[in-house]
Amino acid sequence: MRPRSPRWFLPLLAVWIAAPILMLGLRAVARGWPFPGIVPVGGVDAGAWLGFADVRLLSALVMSMGLALITGAASCGLGFGIAGAMVDTSRRSRTLAMALALFSVVAPPIALAVGLQVAMVALRLNGTVTGVWLAHLVPATGYLTLFAAGVFGAFDFSLHDEARTLGATRWQVFTRVTLPLLGPRLAEGVLLGGLVSWGQVALTALVGGGVVRTLPVELLAFVRAGDDQLGAAAALVLTLPPGLALGLLHAATRRSGAAL
Amino acid sequence: MRRALPAMLLITPVAIGAAYSAAAAVGLAGPGARGFTLRPTLAVLSAPATWRSVAWTVAVGSVATAIAVALACCAARWLLRRASWQRLAVLPMAVPHVAAALAALLLVSQSGLLSRLVYAAGLTQEPAGFPALVYDAAGVGLVFAFVWKEFPYLVLTAIAVLATGTNELEEVARTLGATPRQAFWRVTWPSLWRGMAPAVLATFAYLVGQYEMPALLAPSDPLALSLLTYERSVDPVLARRAEAHVLGLLALVLTAAVVLAHARWSYGGEEGRS
Repeated sequence: MRPRSPRWFLPLLAVWIAAPILMLGLRAVARGWPFPGIVPVGGVDAGAWLGFADVRLLSALVMSMGLALITGAASCGLGFGIAGAMVDTSRRSRTLAMALALFSVVAPPIALAVGLQVAMVALRLNGTVTGVWLAHLVPATGYLTLFAAGVFGAFDFSLHDEARTLGATRWQVFTRVTLPLLGPRLAEGVLLGGLVSWGQVALTALVGGGVVRTLPVELLAFVRAGDDQLGAAAALVLTLPPGLALGLLHAATRRSGAAL
Repeated sequence: MRRALPAMLLITPVAIGAAYSAAAAVGLAGPGARGFTLRPTLAVLSAPATWRSVAWTVAVGSVATAIAVALACCAARWLLRRASWQRLAVLPMAVPHVAAALAALLLVSQSGLLSRLVYAAGLTQEPAGFPALVYDAAGVGLVFAFVWKEFPYLVLTAIAVLATGTNELEEVARTLGATPRQAFWRVTWPSLWRGMAPAVLATFAYLVGQYEMPALLAPSDPLALSLLTYERSVDPVLARRAEAHVLGLLALVLTAAVVLAHARWSYGGEEGRS
């Protein structure tokens, strides 16, 4: 039996979820929106979007995409490697691993950044893409370890034993059983790791030292400078890839028959 | 325990950062380092501004987490078998924090949509007539943004807990004569809380360390801990930058305490179930 919800619940939920996103959309295209108007005036203004033709913004977008891609791939490899190595360990070891993974996820980015910044200066990596990438890897690998631990928790390892009893070598088991079965999850992992990097501000700002500029860092700068329209356009561009990723993950879970 | 070594990879960069912070905090590393001194540590720990900042950050994080949990628990019960509405509910997950902060600014600031609606209703005569909900000492705008952003994660967790049979137990309690209120508080809530507690602690720890949302929505007095740390880390007086490291370590200790509680809860739960 489905619990009956009050009549106001679903409309209110829709407004609560959609209103902030709609505000970004309207602000990004509105020519003007003076107080006290409830709707924008003057029609559509593509000015903010033309801002993306600007070299600074375009290079920030490319930098964000590049960092997300390499962070996603590397954190996926590391996360699955760490979680895979923990599969046959004691519960106490696994709890410790999960606690460490969670700590690297929820450790305040600014606290992490001030320490890593000094380390990067010592390594001559401060203000470099490599330094920022290494910094992004910290929370991303934590996320991916937690994600991969969940994947391995539901993984049927008896298939390995069956393949081995049928004469497969360890390498053949890995390439012909494990990888095909984990393939979709690995793709999701790359996506998830990429998204962790995609939204980073504090780590990029401090370790990047103002030299490495990503879209979230530029967005923060626009809003602080009072350019809401360009900020809203950048916010929508920032929201699009995670939105697509959510859609893809949902489609994947539907295909595999799992619930969202 | 030796087999837990791969997991140490996770903590190595954090430990390296913390070690450099510890060295910088006592004047042994970083810009402005002039040899061992406890002055920055004592200056930070004895400054009332530090503890006001910690208290404000923890209070705002706690209130936002509590509201988000309450909303998520209510919504989860009503969204349990509504797949399409669940998809709508998770949409804020796709919005990066910095973008969500801008959206909150456009909605609840004195020239935001809410203020315009109140003006249209004749309740205010000018933007200043609307209460300041951003950059306010109460952190209302920041709490609003935190709740909006964390709601999907918590509602998905609550739905996952309810889907394990908790909802059926409530129905059984109802058939045995419990009122809806009794069934919720005596049957559903205990198992919902047990299942959600780790996610709640993780959310709280995450919010306490958030930077970009306070950067756009929080007041300048008291400063959120993350903003105070950033401010010190870029201080033109190089000697004061060591204070950022003390504040960073303080934040890491706070987070470690929450993660420890999380681990004890999860591990204790598993022990209890096994």
